[in-house]
Amino acid sequence: MQRDYLDILWGGLLAAFGLVVAGYAALHYDIGSLRRMGPGFFPVSLGVILAILGGFIAVPAYWRKGDRRPFAWREMLGIVAALLLFAVLMNRIGLVATTAICALVASSVAPGKGIAWRLILALAVTLLTWAIFILALKMTIPVWPWSR
Amino acid sequence: MTTIEGLAHGLSVALQPSILIYSLFGALLGTFVGVLPGIGAMAAITLLLPITYYISSEAALVMLAGVYYGAQYGGAVASILLRLPGTPQSAVTTLDGYPLAQQGRAGVALFTSMISSFTGSMLGIVVLVVLAGWLAGMATLFGAAEYAAMMIMGLVAASTIGSERPAKNFAMVVVGLILGCVGTDVNSGAQRLTFGQPVLMDGINMVALAMGLFGVAEVITNIPIAERRGPPARVSLRQLVPTRNDIRRMTAAIPRGAALGGFFGALPGTGSTISSFLAYALERRISRTPERFGKGAIEGIAGPEAANNSASITAFVPTLTLGIPGDPIMALMLGALVIHGVQPGPMMLQSRPDMFWGLVASFGIGNIFLLLINLTLIGVWVSILRIPFRWLYPAIIVFVCLGVYSVRGATFDIAMVAGIGAIGYALTLASFSPALLLLGFVLGPLIETNLRRALLISRGDAMVFLERPIACGFVVATAALILLPLVKSLIRSRAPDKSRAD
Repeated sequence: MQRDYLDILWGGLLAAFGLVVAGYAALHYDIGSLRRMGPGFFPVSLGVILAILGGFIAVPAYWRKGDRRPFAWREMLGIVAALLLFAVLMNRIGLVATTAICALVASSVAPGKGIAWRLILALAVTLLTWAIFILALKMTIPVWPWSR
Repeated sequence: MTTIEGLAHGLSVALQPSILIYSLFGALLGTFVGVLPGIGAMAAITLLLPITYYISSEAALVMLAGVYYGAQYGGAVASILLRLPGTPQSAVTTLDGYPLAQQGRAGVALFTSMISSFTGSMLGIVVLVVLAGWLAGMATLFGAAEYAAMMIMGLVAASTIGSERPAKNFAMVVVGLILGCVGTDVNSGAQRLTFGQPVLMDGINMVALAMGLFGVAEVITNIPIAERRGPPARVSLRQLVPTRNDIRRMTAAIPRGAALGGFFGALPGTGSTISSFLAYALERRISRTPERFGKGAIEGIAGPEAANNSASITAFVPTLTLGIPGDPIMALMLGALVIHGVQPGPMMLQSRPDMFWGLVASFGIGNIFLLLINLTLIGVWVSILRIPFRWLYPAIIVFVCLGVYSVRGATFDIAMVAGIGAIGYALTLASFSPALLLLGFVLGPLIETNLRRALLISRGDAMVFLERPIACGFVVATAALILLPLVKSLIRSRAPDKSRAD
């Protein structure tokens, strides 16, 4: 028996998310009345609606054939790592070093072998970034590790 | 101010060299990002937002608008040559554009998309002028109840029209609405869903959300697939010339597409992507030879391309006259306007006619620019597609980081982009629509405020939405939009064998 597992999973997740939001909002914020809605009214109703919709997505998927798609784990982790590194390093070691590291990490998940073109690419991206954001736009951010 | 006076005034604003140069720059940049798969108008506009602080408000808006409709022109290039939509709006163009390219008629397909885009935009401008004047006059009849009902109808229409699984779309809208609740509640000052984090007090940064859902998720999707298809064929100017038969097919499809796009673009919520899908469905339905569709029908390019460009122009109607952004890109534009101290709304036509008419005139000039640079530089745009994606995306990632950071100088927002990007990628893979999530996020706070205000004025009587004629019309339309797909799916489940067949 083939099922649309992707929709079952996401329907379930969305329904759970809706219930959590509704529950959390109902416990923490005042719901008020229709005439004078409290801050809780909107989130609670939305959470309940989302829970119902999640059910609508998950339940019919049980009897339906789904298509399988490859999940690009490697690419996703590489890009997420590059972004997180940028967030962490930017104010610590400045724009130039951060950009080079971020570009290198991002390109590490690209198809193709070899390290040379990746280093050249990182250098080019760093130069371009510096030229646009520092030289042209004069953004006020630390540029070098010592210029904090 | 009459329309003629307005247009003359608008031309005098838009033809200033300092405005013209930004219009040209926006159009060029828009085409460039549109051609590149993986980044669209959204990412380009967010990156340009910080630049707009340094230039005049007219120049800023003209430039951003140029990027917006320029991307629609460029998007078709990758769709036709690589079967890889450069922008979501041009996804439909792949259906008939790519088969044409395989038959060696890529030039004709490109020409069709450009001339349709141009004509669609021009007709869209006419609709914009007519509708904006009319709606600005009507806007005094719009109270909180009408605003709320209209925005809810927009969200429902965006999730149900032309969709196979409305429940999945609705769910995305609701997730967006929930994310829109994060931050300080405007009415009571209460901190909602912030979990005590001061960075979340202003709410989730819209730029971070947009960049994560579009920029980052698109990059992740494209890394493994972008280079599998070989480089595109070269296209010379001579190959652009269509046959007489092609022209005959186009001339009927373009006005139909433009009219359809003009209508759906002006509704808040349903924008250029939906209208391009609808235009394709319309062309196939009324065609005497529907079997040609998907195998290189000219109408299958002309209709949708006219529709999405027309819609991208008329999307300015609710934005400029009511202050309601019809799509996430319009929300960014609205943000840019507010930064410059211009409050869009019913009064804008009276208080800032230079702005409104200047914008209208610049749309026309920008589209003439676009037609010229697309036709003459077609070789350049095609060769951009020859750049391997792996050389481009690291720079895109770095620009995303700096673009998000520049909004309010918080590295937290960059980390959030990472998380949102990963979730956005997983959602796209499960065929959820991130655009609807963003739309819900943008309209959520506006809907909540107006809903609460309407019910406060009516003393908690929900009948207010049915007693006021305009609001009632929106409510009835919303109900119809919800009930129609339900009825359809009921009929379909009665005849299970039939649904298997397609």
